[in-house]
Amino acid sequence: MLDIQDLSLRRGNKILFESLSAQMQVGQVVVVLGPNGAGKSTLLLALQGMFPCANGEIQYQQKPVSTYSRQTLSRIFTWQGDLPPSEFGLTVGQRLALSADAKTRQSIEDALQYMDLGLLEQRALGELSSGERQRVEIAATMVRDNPIWLMDEPTAHLDMRHQVDCLRLIKQQSKDGRLIIAVLHDLQQAAGVADVVLLLDGLGGATVGDAASMLTAARLEPVFQVKLTGQGKDLRPVYGEN
Amino acid sequence: MKLQKNELLLIAAFVGIAMFVIFIALGVGEHWINPLNPSSDMEVLILWEIRLPRILTAFAVGGMLALAGAWFQVLLGNPLAEPYVLGVAGSAAVGAVSAMMLFPDSTLAMSMGAFIGAWVGIAAVLSFSFLGATRLLLAGVVLAAFWGAILMLLMALLPERSLMLAYAWMMGDLSSSSLPVWSLLLVWLLALMCGVFLSLSLDKLLLGERHAEALGVHVQRLRLILLFLASAVTAIAVTAAGTIGFVGLVVPHLMRLLFGSLHKAVLISSAFGGGILLIMADTTARTIISPAELPVGVLTAMIGVPIFLYLLLRRA
Repeated sequence: MLDIQDLSLRRGNKILFESLSAQMQVGQVVVVLGPNGAGKSTLLLALQGMFPCANGEIQYQQKPVSTYSRQTLSRIFTWQGDLPPSEFGLTVGQRLALSADAKTRQSIEDALQYMDLGLLEQRALGELSSGERQRVEIAATMVRDNPIWLMDEPTAHLDMRHQVDCLRLIKQQSKDGRLIIAVLHDLQQAAGVADVVLLLDGLGGATVGDAASMLTAARLEPVFQVKLTGQGKDLRPVYGEN
Repeated sequence: MKLQKNELLLIAAFVGIAMFVIFIALGVGEHWINPLNPSSDMEVLILWEIRLPRILTAFAVGGMLALAGAWFQVLLGNPLAEPYVLGVAGSAAVGAVSAMMLFPDSTLAMSMGAFIGAWVGIAAVLSFSFLGATRLLLAGVVLAAFWGAILMLLMALLPERSLMLAYAWMMGDLSSSSLPVWSLLLVWLLALMCGVFLSLSLDKLLLGERHAEALGVHVQRLRLILLFLASAVTAIAVTAAGTIGFVGLVVPHLMRLLFGSLHKAVLISSAFGGGILLIMADTTARTIISPAELPVGVLTAMIGVPIFLYLLLRRA
């Protein structure tokens, strides 16, 4: 349903990556991995038509994303990105209502409950911690009933319990018929949810493959320049001496 | 009280307050005149030909400045933004003072100069509209400094007699507006309607430009519309009354503290609240040391600051 054809992205004069081709389907979790600055967040923007492709094309249901209107794209893709600014005193409830586009009181209730935000609904965003605000963003993703979720580090700022909740949500929602494309930095988390891994190496290269074949020391060590130990779901970086 | 949830109730409440304030403002002055029962033709003339147009001008100008302030704050994503932040007031002042040099003693020429100057300033700002919020703000601040420098240069060349006039204009003066009152009220109404029409997009813009875009807002187009609207409204307000500080900065925040940050409520309440605040300030300015007058800008700050700080403290 989402078809990336020979995609290259460039920021200024720097080529982020070249010749990425991939086909993604409903029901999949695609995890995007790569070092800082490799273009992961930019890829999420480009997928929803918010960043120009230097080369190649992105198609949703056989039509280029660039031919859809902004309004239509907002009903296909849900984007979870940076924490929104808090200077103007929006409350949690108001922020969710902006994503929900009205008429869906029940979905807001459900999202508040799932992300454990019931008591915070009337509070201003500026009064919350980063972790709580991140939970609001996950809840905002839930209230928008779109087929594709683009999530930029969804587990950032979250405590362990809510990381687990968030990853469980991702898995569940993909089973329920969404395509979820998530940027993650934690190998265990990636291994836990990924069906497909998209690896940007930061030097212009982009590789796609099923999770088992991508999450190996041989593939990841040269890209991240760390020593990895363990295998499969236990693959992890080596800290210190052992 | 859930006035922010019901726009009609909010409007009705503000119309009530505005009527009351206008009634009082009509009455007070050098002499008290009962607006319902003037005792002579002279008093009728003072009420309807002198005080009322000035009061309505104050209302429209105050409301426009507050609306423009609210727009600039969300457009630039900066709570410190106000209508003059991008240099529109500076360029208007340059225009007004230039006109003063060319045609001394003509308030009409001065207004024309201010209007043309304001639009030159707007054109300069619009050419930077493709920049992101932070850079646009930076460009505007630098432009404002540029107009400020030119203004200083012109002021140094101005004869002493005109200098006082120029100062008075720069501190705000509602007594000599050369724009007809009905046109100001019409602009006020149109601006408010545009604002309410755009309010959902503006709310989304509070989440940042990317979030707004992801939620279906045409951000580039909205920015251009907003920049144009806010600047045009500022230009008209400045043309009518010179530069009146503080209303555009404080009133939107005041209304956010009272009614929350969703724009339908913020814009409606700012349009009325700014007008009411400026009527109160101007009425005080023309009565407190009458028959002389204080600059109205002094009063907007002296009334607005305590109210604002009180609400800020109460919230904390």
